[in-house]
Amino acid sequence: MKRDHISFIFRGARVDLAGFSPHATLLEWLRLNARATGTKEGCGEGDCGACTVVLARASDGALDLRPVNACILLMGQVDGAEILTVEDLAEGNTLHPIQQAMVDHHGSQCGFCTPGIVMSLFALQQSAQGPVTRPQVERALAGNLCRCTGYRPIVDAAMESCSGPAQDRFAAATALRLAALAEMTDSADVFVGTSTQFFAAPASEDALAALYLEHPDALILSGATDVGLWITKALQTPPKIIWLGRLRGAFTAIEAGDKALSLGAGLTLADASAPLITLHPDFAEIMRRFGSAQVRASGTIGGSLANGSPIGDIAPCLIALGAEIELRRGSDLRRLPLEAYFIAYKQQDRRSGEYLRRIIIPRPAPDRAFRAFKVSKRFDEDISAVLGAFHIGLAGRHVIFARIAFGGMAATPSRAPQAEMAAIGIDLDAPATWAEALTAITLDYAPIDDARASAGYRTLISRNLFLKTLMEISGIPAEITRISGFEVPHAAE
Amino acid sequence: MNERHGGGDWIGRSAARVEDQVLLRGGARFLDDIVMPDLAEATFVRSPLAHGVIRSINCDAARALPGVHAVYVFADLRRVLTQDAIPLALPAGGLRFDVDPTCLAIDEVCYVGEPVAIVVATTRRIAEDAAALVELDIEALPVVVDPVEGLQPGAPEARLTCPDNLVARTKVDYGDVEGAFEGAAHVVRETFRLNKGGGHPMEPRGVVARHDELTDQLTLWNSTQMPHRAKAMLVATLGLSERQVRVVTPEVGGGFGTKAVFHPEELATPAAALLLKRPIKWVEDRFESFTASIGEREQIWTVEAAFEADGRLRGIRGTLVYDHGAATPYGIALPFNAATNLIGPYILPAYRMLIDLCLTNKTPAAPTRGAGRPQGTFVMERLLDRMALRLALPRDEIRRRNMIAPGQMPYTIPVKQRDGSMMVYDSGDYPQSQALALKAAGWADFPQRQKAAREQGRFIGLGLANYVEATGRGPFESVSVSIGPSGQVVVSSGATAQGQGVKTMLAQVVAQVLDVAPQSIHVVVGDTSATPAGLGAYASRQAVTAGNAAFAAATLLANKAKIAAAELLEASVEDLVIREGVVEVKGVPGHGASLTQIARALAGTPGFALPGNLPPGLSAASDFMTSGLSYTNGCHLAEVEVDPDTGGVKILRYVVVHDCGRMINPMMVEGQILGGVIHGVGMTLFEWMRYDREGQPLTATLADYLLPTSDVAPRLEIHHLESPTPLNPLGVKGAAESGTIGAPATIVSAIEDALRPLDIRVTQLPVTPPQLRKLIRDAQSSELRP
Repeated sequence: MKRDHISFIFRGARVDLAGFSPHATLLEWLRLNARATGTKEGCGEGDCGACTVVLARASDGALDLRPVNACILLMGQVDGAEILTVEDLAEGNTLHPIQQAMVDHHGSQCGFCTPGIVMSLFALQQSAQGPVTRPQVERALAGNLCRCTGYRPIVDAAMESCSGPAQDRFAAATALRLAALAEMTDSADVFVGTSTQFFAAPASEDALAALYLEHPDALILSGATDVGLWITKALQTPPKIIWLGRLRGAFTAIEAGDKALSLGAGLTLADASAPLITLHPDFAEIMRRFGSAQVRASGTIGGSLANGSPIGDIAPCLIALGAEIELRRGSDLRRLPLEAYFIAYKQQDRRSGEYLRRIIIPRPAPDRAFRAFKVSKRFDEDISAVLGAFHIGLAGRHVIFARIAFGGMAATPSRAPQAEMAAIGIDLDAPATWAEALTAITLDYAPIDDARASAGYRTLISRNLFLKTLMEISGIPAEITRISGFEVPHAAE
Repeated sequence: MNERHGGGDWIGRSAARVEDQVLLRGGARFLDDIVMPDLAEATFVRSPLAHGVIRSINCDAARALPGVHAVYVFADLRRVLTQDAIPLALPAGGLRFDVDPTCLAIDEVCYVGEPVAIVVATTRRIAEDAAALVELDIEALPVVVDPVEGLQPGAPEARLTCPDNLVARTKVDYGDVEGAFEGAAHVVRETFRLNKGGGHPMEPRGVVARHDELTDQLTLWNSTQMPHRAKAMLVATLGLSERQVRVVTPEVGGGFGTKAVFHPEELATPAAALLLKRPIKWVEDRFESFTASIGEREQIWTVEAAFEADGRLRGIRGTLVYDHGAATPYGIALPFNAATNLIGPYILPAYRMLIDLCLTNKTPAAPTRGAGRPQGTFVMERLLDRMALRLALPRDEIRRRNMIAPGQMPYTIPVKQRDGSMMVYDSGDYPQSQALALKAAGWADFPQRQKAAREQGRFIGLGLANYVEATGRGPFESVSVSIGPSGQVVVSSGATAQGQGVKTMLAQVVAQVLDVAPQSIHVVVGDTSATPAGLGAYASRQAVTAGNAAFAAATLLANKAKIAAAELLEASVEDLVIREGVVEVKGVPGHGASLTQIARALAGTPGFALPGNLPPGLSAASDFMTSGLSYTNGCHLAEVEVDPDTGGVKILRYVVVHDCGRMINPMMVEGQILGGVIHGVGMTLFEWMRYDREGQPLTATLADYLLPTSDVAPRLEIHHLESPTPLNPLGVKGAAESGTIGAPATIVSAIEDALRPLDIRVTQLPVTPPQLRKLIRDAQSSELRP
């Protein structure tokens, strides 16, 4: 079954849209076509959050609201969703409680970032089970920049207005809204356009495999948090786009086994967070600091690996844990270690017509320790200068196994072979035995100088993160080792 | 309420803002939200090189693209211009060369991002596609990136039209500086390098230009802080009369100085609209914000302080090299602000700062929140900390010993300012300000806490800084207040709003006099057709200038209403008061005439006399002319923790004591302080506009140039002192920049305190983790940890 248009709900009514450019963004459609100008463009690259809108979808019979950056979300990606913008919130002359709290706390000065901030808080409020905490609010706001207010009044407004489960007209209309979403739900393969220019969204992996074999020149689009910038900043106009967002089944499955965790490549980073945290609590901070709430709501775990960023916050963590990936081309499946997928700078072991479908991550054994640290200039929403992940096996107080991987230290996320070897035999109680391994790690990489960090700093940090790891697993509390730029596990809540 | 004259009690209240409803609903009209029939969109072809000579510009392919209306280079626009350059520079004695910018480059490009051609098409998309087709042939020339290197003999020329890069040389010089150093017990010396940053309002700049043939009027909707100055520039450069030009600001999404100076696109776009005879919109993208919008802050100081054995300052001298970028769109005020603000709340008997302003191949420099002052304060406060260390005195004590006492007010410093007057501090209690801040931050107990933390292996520190800010710069601002037969109170001003709450401020002041609700008042700002004369938003000035003008205009209107009411009510003017918008006889509630009734009476009836033989109309206008700058002051304390392994800094606590005289709306004053401090946090820890050796920008996205996010914004504790200024009737001073001025000095004082065992000296801003980590490594003979 095929469908030649996308369907979504806007201002309470269903819209079936066929006439749109495959690379048009949601923000363009809102501002230029719908003349809904409350949503602003501040940067056009997903950094500032002024364009934040909320997409609501049905998930397990409940409404799932996610904030997204409309500036880098392609229009086709709203298929099946309800779009909510700042103009939807007030009811007649009465402001929504979030808007009113923003007024009461002086949370808006120039008002340009305000619509995006209101929508980020709206997504937070609609999914709140109880009163939100300050760290939750900061997490929700990590992708929203404000130059006027210093944020404090906004955080105060959020604490006041997100004090429990939403009891507004949106919550009251949940059943009706779910019904409207259900009415649009089908299992059709979406194909809007022609054979030379199209936006396609296959509904099954078989349809995807076939379509991609037919159009190996098509651009595979997952969350668009990277690809969106190719369009808005590099001014590319990819004529053929295959979006993976309608795939279900294995492509978005979470298989939580005792020995391993399998994650479908299409899981959003937001949805992948909880299962990843079951591997180790350090994933909580890594995932919190991965982009922003908006980026995690759109971006997928497969997408974050597929394009081979040299930093790729998740990749080093998964490499350290010995993860494998599964690729599919036509009906052929192929499995390889994640580290082998990254060949060189932005060059991956992915064949024509092949796509990444699944990531399999072994769970660390009970006698193994794991630590992951992200170092960036700004805590939230900043690209890592260095990300280090350490997987250490112990026999008593001695290291008998080490698998160490870094992002930001080389052209790809990669392992530290000399340090791994030198770590064997370390006595946690004799810091003198640490020295060789700490030095070895500085020999494993030849990082670059850039605006994010100098080569010397990166090298030093790789060593000091290893040191922090050894200190922590030897028993020194994280309150001492994680001072700035880290969230002390579980302490913040 | 004022019992004698009536009126409301709005001044001093944290009234809800009149701006908020529409902003929160997403209904406000910002520049990019403007649409009109036949509106074309423009984009600019910009120089990809930091310096070069334009050999040729081939626009044929771009012009041939369907949907393209025009591609103009400078020679095309010159047909509607009266002169090549935009006559921007403020007069300044020290200026050696005329380097006013042009609206498009003529034959030389001097920074990456300099506009070279304007492409106009039916849509922005098409315009951008066409811009990519413009073939630019530029021969690269050597570049000047570092201002210190740029002043060395043999340095390349940043502009071929200037024989060297020293665009201006000036100084601050008073007292017996040589004598101060000769007899000094101690001298401390230091060099500071403070890097370039910017305002970065969340809304980029933009304009819509439309020439209406019917009225022969050019309207420029402009996201600017200074519409009247923009109009003056258009009149001067387009050869139009004042009647033919109107500049209007829609809702403006932040300014911070970025939108104060007139940029080349503000002329190129209307010039193109005149040539093309259709309206054109141009909105900056974020890359352009980083490359084509002004920034500032790059200063290199070499400075020494001479002082007595008891810590009292004898004199300061040194040199200041200032990076002016490729042009002087604002004259040379910034390093002068920096050098004079160094003095701060302290007694400095002798002072000489030699200031060299260097042209470089970077985006031109112009005021950014703080406008040079944070740097001057930074330098002074760092010197004071060095002096305290030298004498083993507490940092608060060295400041106390040097502070100007309240009894010395008004305090004159023998430095001539832009307007020829001396620097005079009008009011303030600096010692009390510091004492209050120390108490609030737990200064006395901190050493114990610090010791306990260090025993745990943690490095916490407490820093402090005092500062002043010259606010309310003149020469004037205008306000008119009118009430028509509809009863609507309308306030018009030459002031402009970019989020400060200017409309609320003006409404509160007028409401104070007329005793009406501020929300009921309609305020028009930023429209040159609503107020003939005006200056706009700069130098933390609008509450001082426009606020007092509004107060005077509303008072004049109230007096006129009373004279009219006296006749209508057959009462004596002296017996009348205004309550809730009604002029009534004191002590006789209910017996009165509403302002609406009076407005109707004063509108006139054909053939009948006006009440009281008054001139027609219930309206009044006033200009407030400043008699001097009013000095806001403050003391900041910050507690930080440093991670010695990564060089990361976490701000744990931040206390501000702030004195901006009488506050009109304390909530909005705090909003200004909060935003200002966080801007200062960014300047201290994150924000750095970096260039490579070729003058290519390295940090031209919001992912590379980091603004503070909510989690790094400390929870501020703000305390107020109110020392009213004698310089204006309301007793108010400005508040918009002061938060930024104190922050870098405070945070760095805290960082050094945290790392005191290592004797770290921070001499560069921003303090990035790599730099701090390097200082730590250089300072420690052995690792802090195993």
